[in-house]
Amino acid sequence: MWATAFRLRGNDLVMSDKDDIETPVKTEVAPVLEGGDYEPAEKSESVNPSAKLQSKSEPVVSTRKRPESKPPSGIETSEVLPPVQLSQTPGNESASKDVPQSGWGYWGSWGKSLLSSASATVATVGQGISNVIEKAETSLGIPSPSEISTEVQYAAGEINAKENENSPMAGPFGVFSTISTAIQSTGKSVISGSLDALEFIGKKTMDVIAEGDPGFKRTKGLMYRNSTLSQVLREAKEKEELQSASEVAMETDKKTHYYGLLFDEFQGLSHLEALEMLSRESEIKVKSILNSLSGEELETLKLELEQLKEAFSLAEFCEEEEEENKGDEDFTKELTELVSQLHVSSKSEKLASARNTAYEWIKTFQVTPLEEKEECEKQLEEERNEPVNKVSIEDIHAFAIRSLAQMTACSIELFHKAAALILHGGKQQVTAIERSTTLSQMTIVLCKELSALSKEFTTCLTTAGVNEKADVLNPLITAVFLEASNSASYIQDAFQLLLPVLEISLIENKTESPEA
Amino acid sequence: MEAIWLYQFRLIVIGDSTVGKSCLIRRFTEGRFAHVSDPTVGVDFFSRLVEIEPGKRIKLQIWDTAGQERFRSITRAYYRNSVGGLLLFDITNRRSFQNVHEWLEETKVHVQPYQIVFVLVGHKCDLDTQRQVTRHEAEKLAAAYGMKYIETSARDAINVEKAFTDLTRDIYELVKRGDIMIQEGWEGVKSGFVPNVVHSSEEVVKSERRCLC
Repeated sequence: MWATAFRLRGNDLVMSDKDDIETPVKTEVAPVLEGGDYEPAEKSESVNPSAKLQSKSEPVVSTRKRPESKPPSGIETSEVLPPVQLSQTPGNESASKDVPQSGWGYWGSWGKSLLSSASATVATVGQGISNVIEKAETSLGIPSPSEISTEVQYAAGEINAKENENSPMAGPFGVFSTISTAIQSTGKSVISGSLDALEFIGKKTMDVIAEGDPGFKRTKGLMYRNSTLSQVLREAKEKEELQSASEVAMETDKKTHYYGLLFDEFQGLSHLEALEMLSRESEIKVKSILNSLSGEELETLKLELEQLKEAFSLAEFCEEEEEENKGDEDFTKELTELVSQLHVSSKSEKLASARNTAYEWIKTFQVTPLEEKEECEKQLEEERNEPVNKVSIEDIHAFAIRSLAQMTACSIELFHKAAALILHGGKQQVTAIERSTTLSQMTIVLCKELSALSKEFTTCLTTAGVNEKADVLNPLITAVFLEASNSASYIQDAFQLLLPVLEISLIENKTESPEA
Repeated sequence: MEAIWLYQFRLIVIGDSTVGKSCLIRRFTEGRFAHVSDPTVGVDFFSRLVEIEPGKRIKLQIWDTAGQERFRSITRAYYRNSVGGLLLFDITNRRSFQNVHEWLEETKVHVQPYQIVFVLVGHKCDLDTQRQVTRHEAEKLAAAYGMKYIETSARDAINVEKAFTDLTRDIYELVKRGDIMIQEGWEGVKSGFVPNVVHSSEEVVKSERRCLC
């Protein structure tokens, strides 16, 4: 019975790789799935040597930078835009080229960074090779990977020096230079939107931020980025693992602060990899379908795909929209509503409960502990909930980082599940464009929520740390903002991974029985 | 989450739809049993540490796959990077037992060039009165494929721990003997990060990565 249903699907959908007509596609897909850690084998081979070199040279920092800031080791991926994107959006190219001039500091808000990270991710997902872009890249006079890695070493040296000086501080709070990079990438919104909290940030930190070179290294990193988001996060996690393992002997407590480890613990990394895999697979299929079409048919499809892409540009996101924190139920309601609009049987409870747990914790912190005692269920809290009044700023920081990691992991899980269901969920009740719009709204809602949550946490920090010295409190506050902004970036990048999935969905929807 | 573990093993859990894969894993990783649960979409991910000998911990990454045919193309992609697997059938559902053979064939095709150490699991053994598959025939089938056989119940927490830890131990022995090697580009087995103090001689050799620090 299953078999019949399956065959049926195979005939009207392009997805089934058992289907006869799809055999060529299948052979293309196979190496991707089988090679490396979901990476094409050839690619990982050619990339690895210098990637290693680089990871050696990088200092161990506890907070990740945005993926773009990581100068990768080859030009390979920046060229690998599939023809769809190439022919449709020369703007895609120019988008990533634009960033250098403006620098990340100029992005006015999270909304704008939505846009920019969009173009950044798209470039890495591709599998095909486009000569046009290759030429464009080479004609820009981009330095060789080794040049970059020297630069990184140089920068790393500086950081290391600093880190060694204040090693007790360096651990959970991140290094100053990391902070400055992050602030650049976050844009003004964090600064202007949270001025009250940032007031507390010491002059020293601000100086470092001001000194930071906003554009240069980041820009190159952006052009060269050829590792996927999950690779970046995996590397970060492994570094943290290494670091925390070496710390365990001395201080068992510290490791709870590592975002990357926590993100993995909540299975965020696995879901991200799974999503990347679906995205890659879909992209290959879209490409092969486009290659098989010609003339008017091709033009029509391209046009429709272009529309779909617009929904992914999040252009409608208005930067002034950052309203005050709405009621507690609103997020859950909005999210549930959006998920149901997707018409996939995906569920948002996990994410909603992660978010609510965070807010409940904040509430127990703000309100008298006795009243709220019943509500606190989370493990972390159970261990520490009797002396709520004595919650240290380190505890708040740790819980904040944990919550952000958890919410991000749950968001990515939601995207992953949505992708799986869009691809294999059977008959479509809504169009791909409608789904794209919903998903982009969802991305915005999630990012806003992270922003709001980070503000709540920093408020807690400033309240609890009123008697603390600035150089103890401020790095904690900065770290929370930093991880919130990173989290938002990961979610946006993950959202972009859904584009090829929806492209395939659009094509399937359109063609009842493709090419058959 | 403890960061100290000797190795990380990736295990995959497969078998027909509704045999109780997710429930078994949840019992093992969360210690809970949900009477109602939704069918798995694509794959789900769980992890847990297992102590195989005092001081020797293995981190298990468990891939919970959807039993439904429509997700097969997704779940297939996960065989390759697994070192071990639990192949489940429902002792009250004869059909799920008959499909064991097909599951093994399917993995064989997709796991190349690697191998998966499987254990055959007869699940829902609390429902003995509705049993459709005898222990004897299940053991015979398992032996024919060189697998161990174990009967479990997620609801009554019977043998759940044992199913996972026995498999983990078997894999650990194979790794120790060098029959399974850590390989670049394969995620089945990874060496962990162990602080120097805990090191015994044989692990130092394996985790050359740590030398970077």
